[in-house]
Amino acid sequence: MQTISAVFAYTFKEHLRHKAWLSAALFGLVLLGGAIIVSALGADERARLLLDLGLASIELIALVSVVFLTVHLILAEIESRAIYLILTHPVRRSDYLLGRFLGTLAAVALGMAAMAALHLILLSLYGWWEPLRYLAALGCMLGKISVMGALSLLLSLALTSEAAAMAFAVFLWMLGHFSAEMRFLADRSGSSFMKTALVAFSHAAPDFAHFNYRDFWHQAAPGGEWLMWAGVYALAYTAACLALSFQLFEQKEF
Amino acid sequence: MRGRWLALASALFALALIAGARMRRLHEPRFPPLSELKAGPFAFQDAMLAAAGYRAPAADLAWIHLLQYAAGSLPEYADHPGHPYEHLATLSLRVTRLDPSFHRAVLFAAGILGWFHGIERPDEAAKLLHEGMRRTPEQPMYAIYLAALAYKKEGDTDRMIALLESSFDRPETPSTMKSILANLRQSRGEHREALVLWARILESDRDRSEHARARLKIAELRGLLAKPPAKKP
Amino acid sequence: MNAIRFQNVSKIYRRSHLGRVTETAGLAGLDLDIVKGEVFGLLGLNGSGKTTAIKLLMGLHHPTKGEVETLGRRASDVEVLARIGYAPEAAYLNKTLTGRENLRLFASLSGIPRAEIEERTADMLAKVGLGKAMDQRLSEYSKGMLQRASLGQALVHDPELVILDEPVTGLDPLAIKEVRALILWLRGKGRTVLFSSHDISEVERVCDRIGILSGGRLVKVMAQDEWRGKADALETAFTAAVVRTDGVGPIRME
Repeated sequence: MQTISAVFAYTFKEHLRHKAWLSAALFGLVLLGGAIIVSALGADERARLLLDLGLASIELIALVSVVFLTVHLILAEIESRAIYLILTHPVRRSDYLLGRFLGTLAAVALGMAAMAALHLILLSLYGWWEPLRYLAALGCMLGKISVMGALSLLLSLALTSEAAAMAFAVFLWMLGHFSAEMRFLADRSGSSFMKTALVAFSHAAPDFAHFNYRDFWHQAAPGGEWLMWAGVYALAYTAACLALSFQLFEQKEF
Repeated sequence: MRGRWLALASALFALALIAGARMRRLHEPRFPPLSELKAGPFAFQDAMLAAAGYRAPAADLAWIHLLQYAAGSLPEYADHPGHPYEHLATLSLRVTRLDPSFHRAVLFAAGILGWFHGIERPDEAAKLLHEGMRRTPEQPMYAIYLAALAYKKEGDTDRMIALLESSFDRPETPSTMKSILANLRQSRGEHREALVLWARILESDRDRSEHARARLKIAELRGLLAKPPAKKP
Repeated sequence: MNAIRFQNVSKIYRRSHLGRVTETAGLAGLDLDIVKGEVFGLLGLNGSGKTTAIKLLMGLHHPTKGEVETLGRRASDVEVLARIGYAPEAAYLNKTLTGRENLRLFASLSGIPRAEIEERTADMLAKVGLGKAMDQRLSEYSKGMLQRASLGQALVHDPELVILDEPVTGLDPLAIKEVRALILWLRGKGRTVLFSSHDISEVERVCDRIGILSGGRLVKVMAQDEWRGKADALETAFTAAVVRTDGVGPIRME
């Protein structure tokens, strides 16, 4: 536990001191400002627009940050050879990877929390105040970001090319929002091969479409039990990707 | 021991599949398939945003386009001479195809088509409301507006106004529809009732876009009410 | 009692490019025992297998064949790394952290109790001459300061076995003298030291024994009495033993 927390602490600190993190945070503020301006065009739906566009901005910034940071997370340490010094200490490789991942996720979550606090204040000024629903939406967004972070980490270790890993991560993000479409297409497909392939893909890819609380909460918002299963889904999917990353990382030589 | 992480990953993935199935059973978001998005100048933008998981923001941007069109400033959808608001229904349906819960887009367009002075195309408004109802049958406002349109066709303006006013404070009621209703009262010489409606608009945070007009109207109506009624010769 | 044992160890690097696999021997059948308390120098040309041998000891590489043991345990055993200090040929430290933060990290990773970390860190930084610069970020350190920080992380947990990969390469004469004094101080404390070098004169001064590697093979092992007091004995033995394997011919200016 001491090693995981030590790796977590230095990773967290490293990210917060990185210019990229500060730039992302600033860009997030600019996007929130943009949401205020755009929402002014929404007439009597101003609060809804500010809510949707603000949450989308937070998620977008978090997505870009988490993909960028996790793809570079290990590959950059291998390139700079800083990993030599870490792994030549009594650190299990899985502990190292877990600490690095959690530190990165915490840095991204901190950015999200700061943006969300500002967003919530702005919303309250426009008469929207439903902090519990907002927290549920934010929790689901963090779940998506956690799954994407773990997937990007896995891809970076499997492909060892940063560009390829980022491209695949974006592709999986899109595919994840297509899960309902894939099931819809499978239902209508005449070929049993296509049907099986589409169903398999829709299950293997992370099911972001059903997880996208901030996108469908204007319809009937799901209740506490759904939120619990959504949490289990995000944790299990993230942990499965991390376990596969551990498997790949343990066989790696430096 | 080499395969222990692989075994753990398989077990966790199975758990994720179970949790995913439970999630879907408890709640299925009701979005129309992407194939329902119609071709048009904004089709690519809509499809990309929906595919990236930003349906609600895509619907919000479509709502802004709808408002811009209603204000006469959307060059992508120019009306043919003599056909005002010919794309209003198309643009409002674009919003609900992206997010069926955006009822206000349909109600706003139906309100203009059904009751806006000089437009009054109730059949088009009814068709639009039926489409909205097909997508979200649980939304009561579509039925209320359809019934109000039926009264309008029958010439029963009193019951039409009463019905529309019964939904005046519902959150789905568009501000534009509230203004239409207040103006309708004023045009019937019911200045006191019109004044009350404008005052309710002014009190509502949601109707900020109509507040400036509400202030002017309230001043105007107060002036009218202060004048003694004109004596008949 | 052996501190290090290589038993018939081979390491083959496989590279695959466009379906064509090439194999290179990093080490071939290495048998070597280094006893506790001795200072052992690994001499060899570039590509002779010195760094490969050290990476196998530190668990950064896995042997293709044979067994590697450190302090009586298999080298792949993570726990044994708590008793080993390692400084690579360059200071591969995290430049976004300060000197103190870096040492705190490695102290923590080495399992030093939390209560002792601050004191041990400050003490070690003072010992390597970085007492005044401990709160500066490493991005502001000079090359010499980085090298000292790297030595600090190798020694902060008071290891039984110290492995230094080319510790004097690129250092100024004053720094070389200090490293030499450090190695002799470690020997005085009964620690085992293994270091690799190109520098014959340096090895001559501090080592109890040396091993000469050439083309991944251990071609000669010599004890101090074989070169002490005999001018150029070690250099003569070295030039006679090694064969260039990097395809570079001798310099001739005739």
